[in-house]
Parts: sequence; structure tokens; C-alpha cells
Amino acid sequence: MAEALVLKQLDLELRNIRKRYGSFIAVDDVSLKVQPGQFVCLLGPSGCGKTTTLRCVAGLEEPDQGGILIGGREVTGDPPWKRDIAMMFQDFALFPHMSVARQVGFGLEMLKKPKAEIAQRVAEVLASFEITQLAERRPGQLSGGQKQRVALARAMITEPRILLLDEPIGALDYSLRETVMLELKALQRRTGISFIWVTHDQNEAFSLGDLVVVMNHARIEQQGSPEEVLGRPRTAFVAGFIQGNNVFHGTAGRAQDGMLQVETPLGAFTVPLLDLATPAPGSPLSFSVRAERLIERADESVPNRIALRCVTVEYFGAFRRHVLDGAGGVVVKYDQFGALPQSIREGEQITLGWAAENGVLHRAPPA
Amino acid sequence: MSTIRAGSPAAFWLALPAGLWMVVAVVLPVLLIVWVSLWGGQSVSPDSPITFDNYAHFLANENYRWLILDTLGQAAMIMAITGVLGYCIAYFLTVKLTSPGWRTALFLAFVIPFWTSTLIRAIAFVPFLGVNGLLNQLLISLGLIERPIQAFLYSRLGISMAQVSLYTLLASGPVVYMLSSIPPALREAAMTLKAPPIIVFWRIILPLTLPGIVIGQVLVFLNVLADFITVTTVGGNKLAFLGNLILLFYEGSQIRSTAVVSVLLMILMLAGVAVALRVVDIRKLGS
Amino acid sequence: MHWKTRSRLTGWLLGILTVGFLLFQWAPMFTMFTLSFAGENGGTTFPMNGVSLHWYQKLWEADLFDDFKPPMLRSFLLALGCSATTVVLSVCAAQAMRGRFRGNGLYFYLLLLGLMAPGILVGFGFAILTRLLGIEGTWNTTAYVVHVSWALPFGFLTMLAVFNRFDPKLEEAALTLGADRVTAFRRITWPIILPGVIGTALFGFSLSYDEYARTLFTVGSDGTLPLAVMAQLDRQLTPELYAIGSVTTAMSLVVIALCSIGFWLRARALRGRPA
Repeated sequence: MAEALVLKQLDLELRNIRKRYGSFIAVDDVSLKVQPGQFVCLLGPSGCGKTTTLRCVAGLEEPDQGGILIGGREVTGDPPWKRDIAMMFQDFALFPHMSVARQVGFGLEMLKKPKAEIAQRVAEVLASFEITQLAERRPGQLSGGQKQRVALARAMITEPRILLLDEPIGALDYSLRETVMLELKALQRRTGISFIWVTHDQNEAFSLGDLVVVMNHARIEQQGSPEEVLGRPRTAFVAGFIQGNNVFHGTAGRAQDGMLQVETPLGAFTVPLLDLATPAPGSPLSFSVRAERLIERADESVPNRIALRCVTVEYFGAFRRHVLDGAGGVVVKYDQFGALPQSIREGEQITLGWAAENGVLHRAPPA
Repeated sequence: MSTIRAGSPAAFWLALPAGLWMVVAVVLPVLLIVWVSLWGGQSVSPDSPITFDNYAHFLANENYRWLILDTLGQAAMIMAITGVLGYCIAYFLTVKLTSPGWRTALFLAFVIPFWTSTLIRAIAFVPFLGVNGLLNQLLISLGLIERPIQAFLYSRLGISMAQVSLYTLLASGPVVYMLSSIPPALREAAMTLKAPPIIVFWRIILPLTLPGIVIGQVLVFLNVLADFITVTTVGGNKLAFLGNLILLFYEGSQIRSTAVVSVLLMILMLAGVAVALRVVDIRKLGS
Repeated sequence: MHWKTRSRLTGWLLGILTVGFLLFQWAPMFTMFTLSFAGENGGTTFPMNGVSLHWYQKLWEADLFDDFKPPMLRSFLLALGCSATTVVLSVCAAQAMRGRFRGNGLYFYLLLLGLMAPGILVGFGFAILTRLLGIEGTWNTTAYVVHVSWALPFGFLTMLAVFNRFDPKLEEAALTLGADRVTAFRRITWPIILPGVIGTALFGFSLSYDEYARTLFTVGSDGTLPLAVMAQLDRQLTPELYAIGSVTTAMSLVVIALCSIGFWLRARALRGRPA
């Protein structure tokens, strides 16, 4: 019982971080709470502010406003070498003039540990990453995968509270990425260190993260577990950024029995209101429907229907993606899973629909 | 972030020593000379009145005006020769030559003389260009001429040959740098767009190397204008350019005239750099 | 960087031009080198009148009028001092530029001023300045100051280029590993920029050793080697000057060779021993 009463300190807390470069706002009012041992992914397109946010946590950038707390302690004014963090860079940033052993031990040198202890710890860490044979090599002689391990060993040896990773597998060969991803996930679970992982690749983010933070234009659009974000995108951007969503824009109509009428150029649709406030009639809003939830050749029993023409059919093995044109230039994606034979031809006119409960209403856009 | 914080006072203090050194060693002396050049009256002292008479007097002299033009003309000629020659050599070494062994060897052969004394190299032109010198002996033994050519040494030709030899590297170096930063893919892309090699060079390569050409030309310009050693060594005392005039006045204890011509020379040099900066500075060089 | 060549002809033409120029560039020095071994009665040009080390001997033996050893020593020491000072000032200035302090645009041009002011002007002006302040010109004070002002722009530009190519992420990595800024500079930045620093040092040495115009006005009574050579040249051209020229050139070549070997060894060390 006493354990339940002990408040676990957050590993990281960001409070209303703001950072601008001249007139360009890189990070705008970003707040985040990271529980101990949590795997957090910052996801978003280039320029959305995810890397700047990461660098603020590292202390490599100084925010104009806001606070940063690591382990409950305010570190906003602290330089990087005083923070309990370690960082992995996209191109690894290995020191070219030091052997692998030397640079892996660098962090311990900075902590003024005795030489014997450093040597022993380095040997241990190299062994745990299976790179003992590389100890005397220089970075110039290493392959991409080997460099990545060295960079990781160098960061982990100091046993930081938080590990910051800036697109860590982007520089690796495609075939290597999957393996490394799983290894890093296992490492995080084993050590219990919080990972903050920045990426633009949603496959990485959703398979790795306990907490996914989607950013756009310097702001956090949505944060939650992968199920929450994938199942219920909160904004048109998040829905559009995630593969496999159809996003519809329209204006609010009547609300009745927890259902909202939405007027769009393609027609009127019924979307569940869920926990959102009833929007004023005529106000702009958006909702999304997952591509695999569409029903082929929908008849009158399906409440939401659109007339479309199939433009292309792409086969991906696990599923078949159809891209269809509708009125007003709208493009709709329909994914057919289950390795079924092709049922829609290119050029074919077809009506697709979806059950009312599969429509996900988005938050009203800020005024 | 790096080992120096942007906008921190540490940056300012680090910059101070070099800045101070240049102010004391260059800026103050230049200002002083400008002041001296403006000293009017009879005596040469700090109490002299300020006037532009010295300049008017100097520029009124037709011989001196001709000398200025002659110096500029010499610079222009050397710039043109070293520019073309330097570009050809740069192009050959970076683009045409494929064997890395040869490239290193020729590069070294090109650059090493630069690390030896320019004074010595200038002096070495005397036995090279002389009536009994190596060049004449070579030409005679090849049967190209019957009697040695006197005009090589102690002449404008000799001076020019020496200056070309000394300064072509300056014209070539920046071009080498720019040429080697052009990705081969650009040339290939142009060729797939049906451009013949001459067009590829004229429309793609040459414009991209333009900053290098301009920098090289500026370096040659500055060096030729300020050069008086080569002129006296290889030209004997038969020719004089602006630099020599300055020394002449100095040795004649004509302080004001020395100052005037020095300032005029500097103005020419600064003008040249200013013109070049308009062309080059707009493009980012990354240096 | 293998570019596919369409025209072999232009390749050959340019190649002949290049080799021709290189021969032209080396020929005078070769001539001087050969003539330095001229016989006792040899003039300053061909024919050589025998082969001997006479002129080298004359160089070695001191003479009241043309003893070149003291000026050589002074030039050497001056160049050493100039080189060291240039390195320190250039590295500090270039590092300061990374800090983007206020007025760094103007500062850049201030440092480049040394390149754009003719040597005679700077030398003359500095001489007047020192005279007005009552300071006497000597080779190791006033000449030293203007030598550094001449080498500094070159060193500064070199170090700027070096820092430009340097990856700041390496420093950032060190900072996140617990190194403060000074430690990161000492352990990470410095070892990596060292080749550039050595280049700056060589540049500074070479520029100082060869300097004439500025030195002429600021050196005082004890001259440097270029001044002594020019003074001798004014009096009479003798093969002894060729001997000096050959000795100086040989020394430069030795230094270049040593540095090249040094760089080659370092590059090999950085690549590491093969597995």
C-alpha cells in the first residue's frame, strides 16, 4: 500500500516551451509529461519542431519561454553537460580521431571515474552490444550498423535517465532498420530508461512508442497511445498524416441523438458526436474514415454513401489499395484486406459507403 | 550549439586580440599615411594644413597619369593571361586527368614553388632569361632562333613572363576549388539533355566556377599592383610601375609624394576588391 | 572524380599546356640551382666555367660585406614567432566568428584589410607611427608586428574554411556526454582541426620568411634575409645569391616533405589498422 502512495517523479516534463529563430517560430507552446521508463515518439513532417524540441531537452537549444524538468528537477538553465541525458545523433557523430574503446569511455572520463573502472565498464558495455572486436578500430573503418552500436554504447554507458534519439535509424540500410528497431525497443524495456525518439516515419513511431506525440507547425496536434492516435485522430492533420485515412471537410448541420449531420460537397453524412461539444450549425469541421472500413457496392442500408470512379488499383500483398475519384476532385482510398480476389476494376463506377460509427469526428479547428 | 555560445561575451573577447592587432598594425598606419598625404604647405610636420593639393598636383602630371594607366594595363594583361592559363590548368587537373597518381604529382609540382621564396624565384629569372640564359640556349639548340633574344630580360616582356610564372597559381587555385565541388552528375544531366560538350562547359561549368575565377583575378590584381620586387629584379631599372614610384619618392625623401602615391595605390586595390565583391559576395561561397 | 571525357583532343591540348607551364615554372629555379655550382670564375649566367662548391663555401664563410648568416637566422626566428602568433590569433578569431558576435561582418573585413593594403603603405605608415611614438624599429618588435598583420588574414581565412567543414554535431555529442565547452574544444575540436592549424602555421612561416615590402620600413638596422639578398642584388649579382636561393629552396622542400609525410601518417592512423 505504501508503494502506491509514493509519487513517481516524471522522467521529463516540458511546460509551455516556446522557441523562435527571428520571425520563425520553431516550437510553440509545447507541453509534455514523460513517465519513468516510457518510450515516447515525436512524430511529424520536416520542420514541425520535433527536432528543436528534442534539442531543447538536451540543452543544445535554449527555449525562449517555458520550463524543462528532468526527474522533477528544473534544468531549464542548465547546459547539456549538467543534464542527466544522453543523445544519439542521426549520423552518429562519432569522434573520428578516437578508437571505439576510447570514445565509448568518454562519458565516464567526463564523470572523472578512475581509469581502471572506465576500462572495465567499457569492456562490459562493448560486450553487451556485441562489439568487443571493434574496440581498437576507428570510426572510419566501421559499417553503418557498427557505427550505430558504437554510438549507442557511448550514450548508454553513462546510464542516463533519458536517452534522446534524433532519427537514429534513418542513416541505415532499409533491411537493417527493422532489426535495429526491435533491438532498441528491447533495450529500452530492459534498462527502463525513458527514450525520446524523433522521427517522420509513422511505422517507427507506432510500433515503438508507448506515447506518440504528433507535431505540426511547431505545435502538438495530438498525443496518446498508438491505439488512441490511430483509432481516433483528433485533427484533420493527424488523420491525413497517418496512412490509411480518408479525410472529409464540411460544415456542421443538425445534431440529434448523439449523431451529427455534416454537409460536404459530396453529400450529407452522419457522424457520431462522441465526447465533443455540439458545434454551431454552419461551422467548419472535418472527420475521417479509415480506408479499410469502407463497404463496397453499398446499398440503401448503409447511411453514408458516395458515388466514385476507380482510378488505380495497387496490390501490396497483404492488402489491395484502390484510389477513387469523387465529385469536386475528392480522392478516396479504399483498402481491401484479406487476400481476396480483385473486385473493383480500374475505370469502374462504384458506390462506397461506411457505417455511421466508423466516422471519426475531429476537434473543431481553432477560431 | 558548439564550443562557443552564440552571442556570448566569450566570442567578443576571443575576437579582440586579432582585431586590436589589425587596428594597430594596419588601420592606424593607413589613416596616418592618408593624413600625411593631405599635408599642405612647405614643411612636413603634423602642424601642416590639410589640403588636397598634393593629389591635384600629382594627378595633373601627365607622366604620372600615364603611369597609373600603365600599371592598371599591366595588371589587366597579367590577369587575362593568368586567368586563361590558370583555368586551363585547373580544368585539366580536376576534370581531364583521371589517374590519381599523376594528379597528385602534377598538383604538387604546381603548388610547391609557391612555398618557396618569391624573391628567389624572381631572381632566378635573370639567368633564365638572359642573353646566355637557359631559355635562349634552349631556343637556339632547338633551332627556333639563330641569335639570342635580348628582349627577354630587363624588359616588359621579361617582367610579364615572371609575373605570369609567379601568379598563375593564384588565378588557378580558387578555380580548382570550385571545379572540384561541381558534382559530375551535373555534367551528365546536361549531356542527357542533348547539350554538346562545348555548351555544357559554357552554360553549366563556367558559370558555376565564376566565383572562383573572380577571386583568382582579385588575388592576381592585388599582387601585380603591389609588386615592385619583380619589376626591379627582372626589369632592371628600365621600367617602373606605381610600386616603384613609391620607393623612388621614399628614397628621395619626398614623404608627401610617397604618401600620395601609396594612398592612390591602395584606392585602386580597394576599388578592385569592391568590384569583385559585388559579383561574388552575392553568391554564397561557404568560406 | 572521374569525368567521362568526350573529347580526347582537348584533354591532350590542355595537358600539353599544363606540363609546358610547369616546366616553365620550374625552369628558372633549375637554372639558378645549376649555376650555384658554377666554378670560381663563373659569371652569373652560362657558361659555367667549371663545377665547384665555391659559392656555397663563400656563403658559409663570413665576410664583412656579405655575411648572410645573421639575416638568415633573424628571418628564421622572426618567421617562427610570426607563425606561432598567427596561429593563436587566427584560431581565436575564427572560433569567435562561430559565436556570431555583434559586428562580426565588419570584423571579417577588418581582418581582411591586411590583404588589401599594399605592403609599402603599411610598412611606411607603421614606421611613421612608431617614430611619432618614439619607438625604435627593430626586427623583433616592429617588423614582427607588421609581419603578423600580413599573415593574419591568410591564417584567418584558412581557419574559417577549416571550421566551416567541421561538423558541430561532434562537439554537441561531447557536450551531451558531460564535457563542458572548454573540454569539448580541447578533446574533440582541437585534434580534428589540427591539420588546418599546421597549415596556418606553415603559411605564417612562409609569408614571414619571404616578406620584403613591410620589412623594409620597419626592420631597423638589423635586416632579414630578403633585405640582405636585395641589398646584395643592388650591389652586384653573384652566384652566391644563387647559392642562397638554392639553400632556401631546399629548406622549403624539406619542410614540405616532412609535413606531407606527417599528414600521410596521420591519415593512415585515422583510417586505422585493417582488421
